[in-house]
Amino acid sequence: MTTLYFLDAAEFTDVSAVAAAQPGARVQRLQGYVAVTSDGPLVIDRRVTGVRHSVWYSALAAVGHGHVVQYDKDALKVEPD
Amino acid sequence: MRAYSAAQETGRKQLVTSPTAQPREQQADPRGPSSHPVRGINHMAFPTFDPAGTIGFYRDVLGLPLVQTMQVKAWGPEYQRDFVHFFFDIGNADRLAFFYYFGQEPYRDENLPPLLDLGQHVALHVDTLADLDGFAQRIQDAGLKIDMRVMHETVESIYVRDPNNILIEIARPLRDLTAADAVDAEVTAQALLDVLASDGEPTLDALWARKAELIAARIPA
Repeated sequence: MTTLYFLDAAEFTDVSAVAAAQPGARVQRLQGYVAVTSDGPLVIDRRVTGVRHSVWYSALAAVGHGHVVQYDKDALKVEPD
Repeated sequence: MRAYSAAQETGRKQLVTSPTAQPREQQADPRGPSSHPVRGINHMAFPTFDPAGTIGFYRDVLGLPLVQTMQVKAWGPEYQRDFVHFFFDIGNADRLAFFYYFGQEPYRDENLPPLLDLGQHVALHVDTLADLDGFAQRIQDAGLKIDMRVMHETVESIYVRDPNNILIEIARPLRDLTAADAVDAEVTAQALLDVLASDGEPTLDALWARKAELIAARIPA
């Protein structure tokens, strides 16, 4: 079970929202973070988020029980450990 | 997707227009206004081998007035030289200062790796988009090149090289910092310290993983 954490700040809202919209994803607001949890891989398409590059590349605050396999101009993909 | 939040009309500090000893309002600090006694930068100082260009850039192009100078006869260590020390007002009673040493051969580190070169810079704060645009116009009107204009996470910035090759950033806030930013800063710093102290290779992946542990530990069961 992988959890992605995003800082609960205006500039990252669109990124965490796309993550939370994944099938099977669960979202919680936790002490200043938005936590998106899934039993499977989580994939976020950067273009769907609409955020600029400077925000995109600093959006991911933490990764619990998973590892980043792609983080580039196209997508962020995290797979469970 | 929703547009990015609107620019803040007010900045982080209450600015004063002259470098006097007026009391200054503390920077917004989510942990409380009295957590430390520092009130900004008294001054930052750099050597210059081009005082004419430096005065022209800061005073005449950017419009930052000279507010103090000292002409000093060499004293102290043997390597000291006669010098002029001059200070520009950068608002909020903070100052940007330069030393011009008479007779000192110019020096520039031509081997500084680009990453380290960009990593050291001075960021001046303005409150509004109009202020930022005004500086961009001044710089362009002077025939100087704006290296970059970037919308960062919480500031929008322009970058220009001063005559000393110092990278000058001028930034306006896109939002106020919050208590969540301060908590995240502490968590991130702790994760970094933990990763550096561990046996594994320090990487961003390791920091993300350690941060997740620290965040989870903060959540009440």
